Amino acid sequence: MSQNERYLLTRANIEGAHQIAVAEKHGAYAALRKVLKDGVPYSAVIDEVKKSGLRGRGGAGFSTGMKWTFMPDPVKDPRPRYLAVNADESEPGTCKDRVLMERDPHGFVEGVLLSAYAIRAQAAYIYVRGEYRLAHDRVAAAIAEARAKNLVGKNILGSDFSCEVHMHRGGGAYICGEETGLMESLEGKRGHPRPKPPFPAMYGLWGQPTTVNNVETVYNVPFIMERGSAWFAGLGTANSKGNFLCGISGHVNKPGVYEFTFGITAKEILEQHAGGVWKGRGLKAWFPGGSSCALLTGKDVDVVLDHDSLRARGSSLGTAAMVMIDDHTSMARVMEIIARFYDHESCGQCSQCREGTQWLSQIFHRIAQGKGQPDDVATLEALAKGMAPGKTICALSDAAAIPTLSAVRLFKDELLECVRQKRDPLAQPMPQYAVAGGHH
Amino acid sequence: MVKIIVNGREIEADPKKPLIKACHDSGVDVPMYCYHPGLEPVGSCRICQVEVKQGEAPGRVMVACRTQPAEGMVVDTESPKAHETRKECLEFLLKNHPLDCPICDKAGECDLQDYTYAEGQAAGRTHEERRELDKRKSLGDTIVLDQERCILCSRCVRFFEEVPKQAQLTVSDLGSRSVIATFMDRPLKGKYQGNIADLCPVGALTLKKFRFQARVWNLVKMASTCGECSRGCSTTVEVLRGADVKRVRPRENEAVNKFWMCDIGRFAFERHNRPGRMEGAALREGAKLVPHPVEEALTRLRDELMREKSAAWILSPWCTIEEGERAKALAARLGHQLCFISPEKNGEQDDLLHTGDPCPNRRGLSDLGIAGFEAAKALEAAKGAKLVVLLGERVVELLGAGEVARLDATRVAVHLVDEFALDVPCVKSVFGAANCVERVGTWANVDGVRGPISAVKAPPIGARSPAKLMDELVRLMPKLQEHAR
Amino acid sequence: MALEANFVAEFDELAKNYPEKRAIMMLALHRLQDARGWLSPDALEDLAAYLGMEPVEVYGVASFYPMYRLRPCGKHVVSICHNISCDLRGAQDIIAAVCEATGAPLHGTSPDGKFTVTTVECAGACANAPMLDLDGTYHEDLTPEKAKRILGSVK
Repeated sequence: MSQNERYLLTRANIEGAHQIAVAEKHGAYAALRKVLKDGVPYSAVIDEVKKSGLRGRGGAGFSTGMKWTFMPDPVKDPRPRYLAVNADESEPGTCKDRVLMERDPHGFVEGVLLSAYAIRAQAAYIYVRGEYRLAHDRVAAAIAEARAKNLVGKNILGSDFSCEVHMHRGGGAYICGEETGLMESLEGKRGHPRPKPPFPAMYGLWGQPTTVNNVETVYNVPFIMERGSAWFAGLGTANSKGNFLCGISGHVNKPGVYEFTFGITAKEILEQHAGGVWKGRGLKAWFPGGSSCALLTGKDVDVVLDHDSLRARGSSLGTAAMVMIDDHTSMARVMEIIARFYDHESCGQCSQCREGTQWLSQIFHRIAQGKGQPDDVATLEALAKGMAPGKTICALSDAAAIPTLSAVRLFKDELLECVRQKRDPLAQPMPQYAVAGGHH
Repeated sequence: MVKIIVNGREIEADPKKPLIKACHDSGVDVPMYCYHPGLEPVGSCRICQVEVKQGEAPGRVMVACRTQPAEGMVVDTESPKAHETRKECLEFLLKNHPLDCPICDKAGECDLQDYTYAEGQAAGRTHEERRELDKRKSLGDTIVLDQERCILCSRCVRFFEEVPKQAQLTVSDLGSRSVIATFMDRPLKGKYQGNIADLCPVGALTLKKFRFQARVWNLVKMASTCGECSRGCSTTVEVLRGADVKRVRPRENEAVNKFWMCDIGRFAFERHNRPGRMEGAALREGAKLVPHPVEEALTRLRDELMREKSAAWILSPWCTIEEGERAKALAARLGHQLCFISPEKNGEQDDLLHTGDPCPNRRGLSDLGIAGFEAAKALEAAKGAKLVVLLGERVVELLGAGEVARLDATRVAVHLVDEFALDVPCVKSVFGAANCVERVGTWANVDGVRGPISAVKAPPIGARSPAKLMDELVRLMPKLQEHAR
Repeated sequence: MALEANFVAEFDELAKNYPEKRAIMMLALHRLQDARGWLSPDALEDLAAYLGMEPVEVYGVASFYPMYRLRPCGKHVVSICHNISCDLRGAQDIIAAVCEATGAPLHGTSPDGKFTVTTVECAGACANAPMLDLDGTYHEDLTPEKAKRILGSVK
């Protein structure tokens, strides 16, 4: 698969591209200008994105164009309509949306505007995770610069397309990256996901039609409009089109956020770009797309990093955040951390998730601390099966269950050995530090 | 309405109401915690999972509270998959739940006990320490919260938001650290707090007044109506071993109170347990009221009533419609005045249930054509008569015991039918009255809706309902002659 | 007590961007915390009054989000990611270094009140792990020595 085309990080890699003069010099807003000047109907934008095959880049991988068609006909349903941009990026291992927002906020804002145009939203709310202050400030500044040039607000570039773009901030809760949790938070409430149906397109922000799209997803839209769906569909594999941002972290020599065309294998990413596993070690295990997907082993690096190939291998693309684990690492320790994460992040509504994420965390903790019980591994499996699939309001419960089941499937002997030995033979020595009482 | 099949039986279901309601209404038991018919469904507890098949798609397990019935839907609440999913859910709920049943007020009426017994597992497999939280957090004068027992169904939080429409509780923190809390541990306010103890599916929210008072299986429960205002909320009165009323709870009534009652009504039952009740009858002999057999005392009263033309019957507004009818017939037959005491509004009226009219049967008595007089006016009527019958529980309280005591014993003879005797010179005879949990009858509320009261416990020895007393009185009178043609 | 006039003015302006005033909740909580260091009960009550809500509702929201500090904290807040990518690259050593450099226990405040040190879940710096967030600024590609230097230079 050809890896010659690059567009996602091109402008982001230019010094000062967060300033509108530099950004525009390198093509920002060209697609928007053309769409408005040519009077391209919103429906044509939807069609183009649909034909392109663009799939959401936030983790779920749903067809973006198809999602846009779920919005009701504004003639039949004249309620206010919104685009909510999910910049809550909190999936462990994931740090790619941040790059776009910090380094090419104008390209991002253009993507937001074109997406809002397609779904005829009057306003876009960018929900950025609270910790990303630089990203927030860069995008806010970009919006202000764009507004000054009539690119945001009423009658953009003299057209009858009006769209407000507002920055909003999260408070550090991973569950607000779930689209309905995001909407609840945006409305000023606890980030409790909503049962679906109703779906956001019919009942979204303040009960109005809303589409939620990821940062990287909307970032692709200007390129699709400018270069055409055929160009985009010509990149990538049968089921995964275009280029994508891949984060690779953990035990590699050159962790980073890289741009690839779908079709590349994990091996090529690891060895040709990330410098291979560090310290001359072997690859024991890895997450292909953040922690909410099934673990894969070192033998799986030959897999093509796209939606269907990873599904066939028993995992998923998620946010294309590869977390690489070397062969000196304890998997009990890895899962202790992963399970702790979901326990920390569960909103607590659903019985299975609230209790189950804590339970999984407690069991992995005991196993990693050498206090495992003989039935622990079997219990892990039973609990994970009780937590998924589709038994809860949202998929966080599944996100905790999936890596757990894969860890039990792939590393059962290692976990059982920790139980048997009453210690984790692969545990690294931990530095000592004082801990104040009463913490989570 | 749509036709759906539930457990092989075709039923009609309202597509605008949740599937769980259709199931419950047709007698199919689907477990529930976060769902309550009086609140908006949230679908968080996940216990109401049932297997649903629509069209050709394979059956899916879904929560019945967030599923709308659709034409042709086939529901199986007892399928192996449905049972399995609910069993898993119960295991998760029991993981942190303290094994408090032996000391928990909710035992015997606990949805966690009941559903675990029905389809949970007998033994837990957790090795983990349970959450250690506040087990006796006072939420004010009425409610105590045991945070460890809480299964975070959030009914209590949503109740305050949706019913009295003023948030007082929240889920604080999140995930496995979630706890129900007020702001800064401030006590709950308002007169609808007791409802959250009813709503709580487990023993997390309990009434301070009911704490350790009784095991619910030892309570005799009968349908009744609250008498503390003219809303007449439907209630269930619960008596322990025939002795004391231990609890009053609202009974569902779509036309009156839905699922709720206020705390004024809820806790008024303590007055029904007071000692010193009047038993049987007593007649004044000089300075004392001396016990006499009821029949004898009634015979004396009959004589007085038939002889004295200038007489007034003053009824308590706690008298039932049946008592009002009898009093009306008697007063008409004897040519006596008749009225009921019409208490002043007490300022408790609100947007929810309390009408501010602190009596249960104003409407019932008025509809019979009986005049309602404020206490002062009723007393004037009493002063103007030579014989006064004060009839019904609380009649003395409403007139004021001091006011009655001040009536001139040389000019008026008072005959009292009430819960307690009033030993003052003007009171010539006293008959013990059964109160509103000790007799059968009917009240009509502010909207004319009729509500029953029941004899949940026996009245004191010899005391009887005013209705029964008046029937006995009539039996002692000569039969009414037909008018000669 | 009521919200200061400058906040009222700022929040009134922000509220124009939303169809419901309540939607400024997250932004308002951040602004109040940034200005005062933490969110006291008074702050929550003042915000509730401004929004026409009950204090308990604002408290329920504030207590949900890990970024909101509902207890007093040190002058500077150090948040260290201890999720998987950072742990794989030595986050525990960074925690130890930070505790040593600041004198604060983890999840606590240094005796001189200068630093509060806490851990956070994935901060989105995975490719540049390990990291710390000092008063809202990310410091990445850390070594224990680098972490100590950064903290040592805090006034």
